[in-house]
Amino acid sequence: MKTIVRIFTVLTLFVSIHCGGSVSDDKTVLLTVPNDPTVSFRVWFKVGSQNDPPGKEGLANITASMLTDAATKQNSYEQILDKLYPLAASYNASTSVEMTVISGRSHKDNLKEYFPLFTQAILEPALKQDDLDRIKSRVTNYLENILRYASDEELGKAVLYNEIFAGTPYGHIDEGLIESVKSITLDDVRGFYQEHYTKDNFVVGVGGGFDDTLVRQLKEQLAGLPVGKSNKALPPSPKAINGMEVVIVEKDAASTAISMGFPMDLLRGSKEWYALAIANSWLGEHRNSSSHLYHVIRESRGLNYGDYSYIENFPNGGRLSMPPQNVARRKQIFEIWIRPVPNEARHFALRAALREFQMLVEKGMTQENFELTRNFLKKYVLHYAPTTMERLGYALDDRFYDVDGSHLERFRKMMDEITLADVNAAIKKHWQYGDMKVVIITNEAEKMKDALVSNTPSPITYTSPKPEDILTEDKEIISFPLDIKTESVKTIPVADLFVK
Amino acid sequence: MAGSIFPYEYKQEVLPNGLKVIMIPMDSPGLVAYYSIVRTGSRDEVEKGKSGFAHFFEHMMFRGTKNYPGPVYDSIMTTIGADANAYTTDDLTAYHLNFAKDDLEKVVELESDRFQNLSYPESGFQTEAGAVYGEYRKGITQPFWVLNEKMQNLAYDVHTYKHTTIGFEEDIKAMPQAFEYSKGFFNRFYRPENVVLVVAGDIDPSATVTLVKKYYGGWEKGYVQPQVTPEPPQKKERIGNVSYSGKTLPIIDIAYKGDALDPENTDYVASLLLGDLAFGENSDLYKKLYIQEQKVQFIGASIPMNRDVPLFEIYSMVKSENDLDYIRDEVYKTLETFKTNPVDATKLENLKKRNKYSFLMGLDTPDNVAGGLARLVAVTGGIDIVDQLYGQMEKVTPEHITSAAKKYFVPERRTVVVLKGVQK
Repeated sequence: MKTIVRIFTVLTLFVSIHCGGSVSDDKTVLLTVPNDPTVSFRVWFKVGSQNDPPGKEGLANITASMLTDAATKQNSYEQILDKLYPLAASYNASTSVEMTVISGRSHKDNLKEYFPLFTQAILEPALKQDDLDRIKSRVTNYLENILRYASDEELGKAVLYNEIFAGTPYGHIDEGLIESVKSITLDDVRGFYQEHYTKDNFVVGVGGGFDDTLVRQLKEQLAGLPVGKSNKALPPSPKAINGMEVVIVEKDAASTAISMGFPMDLLRGSKEWYALAIANSWLGEHRNSSSHLYHVIRESRGLNYGDYSYIENFPNGGRLSMPPQNVARRKQIFEIWIRPVPNEARHFALRAALREFQMLVEKGMTQENFELTRNFLKKYVLHYAPTTMERLGYALDDRFYDVDGSHLERFRKMMDEITLADVNAAIKKHWQYGDMKVVIITNEAEKMKDALVSNTPSPITYTSPKPEDILTEDKEIISFPLDIKTESVKTIPVADLFVK
Repeated sequence: MAGSIFPYEYKQEVLPNGLKVIMIPMDSPGLVAYYSIVRTGSRDEVEKGKSGFAHFFEHMMFRGTKNYPGPVYDSIMTTIGADANAYTTDDLTAYHLNFAKDDLEKVVELESDRFQNLSYPESGFQTEAGAVYGEYRKGITQPFWVLNEKMQNLAYDVHTYKHTTIGFEEDIKAMPQAFEYSKGFFNRFYRPENVVLVVAGDIDPSATVTLVKKYYGGWEKGYVQPQVTPEPPQKKERIGNVSYSGKTLPIIDIAYKGDALDPENTDYVASLLLGDLAFGENSDLYKKLYIQEQKVQFIGASIPMNRDVPLFEIYSMVKSENDLDYIRDEVYKTLETFKTNPVDATKLENLKKRNKYSFLMGLDTPDNVAGGLARLVAVTGGIDIVDQLYGQMEKVTPEHITSAAKKYFVPERRTVVVLKGVQK
């Protein structure tokens, strides 16, 4: 008996399966976890910040918040908070470039009270002016103050994405632009809601200890949304990067955050993606000491708190230790993230990271590192989605990427199939060293620019003795040539970011 | 366990050397969470110039032993694909790993080894000090970081809660010189009587105990309790201001000296509920200031669970500097109301229900179970406190809430700090 239970739980870890009379279909993803005393919901609308009209950047994000952080036709926002309060339940919206997901979770005991509140938020938002004012104020505060001044790490990533995708529907962050957000009216929200929140534009996910009746009710209610079209946009075509293109964001900061990268034509699901995931994990597994960049910059030299790399978008990296769900996009970038280093070490840290990346691109992985990393990933991905809500998120992402089966299951399986040759071929095909956008958040921008374009050596001093091999390597890093042309460097005062 | 709010049966064992291990079998798909909870945090940093050391030491615990030098330790962790990390707070340091159940013995061996045989060269120690300073630099760009530093420094005179967990900046700068001190820190605090293991997930308790005895049995006692100076009662209100070098909306933080965690202290238990009732997201004041008047970006309260006297705090980010006094006065008015008017009984019952479901819904993975218990385990030494605390909360009446408001939320216990951004 125990064996049977074990097989079942392992299956439910990754696979959305049939539930009694209800089955997953093209508009429904069901993930049954009978022992889960809670029910998780994720309703995915195929709309995101790429659908923001020009001049109204941020509208998708604000519209989603007007569903979940505001009144419905049945209840004022205060009444909703009162009703949710004893249930210890809530629902939230998340908007990324291509996805908007309304998610929520309730204990089974409270489902009867929770369910109508959740569905009313989606189906019958009141869309009132005072709620819009409050939400716009929150977003504006985020753009004007928090992102520009209180979070250099997220700031660097936001500027990098904006730079890489400039001129495309991906070319602004999900929260939008300050002047655009301020200009959003109730009519804008109503129009956006009517256009995109339709019965032809969603997939609903339910996970946990639900029953058939609940699924049927949910499907019936969502079928009451108006008829519309299913959004199907082509992936964006970002402008080609020509050499090292540097953006220096100037602000009065004691430390320097760096993000850099380039767009890639590779999405999860393909064998090449899993091959490249091995190389990327070795180079920079997020928030893990197995990261090679972490080892070089933090562990051996103590220059900062961590150094990582990515082949999929990973917002909120400072807060999350595992990859988020439902931020899927059809165009990804390769990205290196250097957490804040002292300003005096900024040039050195940039060189150190680029030198490691260049070596990996040119030489490929070693057999030893390949074996270590694929064994690591085979087990490590078990930690990517421990909760029902997270597994449900992955199941929706599987729909987005049209993955054959489950991404996480495939990830583990691929670790047994992929060879070192596959990995090194994927590196050669999808990574290159020379053409890259580099975003540097720092003070004294002109000084940094001069040092970069002149290839000025960047000597480093330590407060502690370092082993001979590190000092020898330092000599190479200090003068590692970066081919950066004056005309390829632009500087922007932080106060000018995200304005319009 | 009939009558218990904690939904899992657990087993507990104390080794002769004082090491306690709490085992919580759960239906989890082959996964185990393993927490080593050291009952030492920044509270225990009593020596002058050594603030931030508990946190710094947490970093050093990843630097290896003679048996498993740092790179070897890292390599094994990589091989077993563990999700491993650690954190430090005022009252505890927790080392946590999530891994596949087949790797349990290797984890017990590695964890027991570093807790008994940590060994690092001075150069590695000094390098890690750089990473800690990097963590400080990362944090100091956040207004709340600056605010907390100021608040703790102003509210406390002698108790070690005067400094934040990462420590005073001048002490962080001086860390590379404290190599000898660090060895003493390890010898005094990293002892079995001061550590509790919580192992949750797909485990067999008796097999787990056997492993723990095998690998930790030889660990010698030797915990030296630090002499933390109690904070004398505050006599009068303290007011402070602090500047944030960037741009931010102003933040007001109104703090009151409270009481340490004690389930038998009805005023303390009632105050845990009072914070939510007065300033939580369905409180009258939250609705007034955030939803109706829209004068604040947020308002909330924090009533923490600590070993010593903590700060009960009410904080708000205010949209206009001109409204700071108004918001402060609204907070005071709300507290006065709670002192004189018994809270609505239905609201109180709703909060109790919310707390129960919030607790239960949070216990969904081995990591969330072990991690959710870490502070209670650190502060009290075990998890009996869970039932004691929730049992006492159930008994709280509107009169208890009134009593707590009168006891704690008085001017002589109060410290107020306002943070403003330099850039406009």
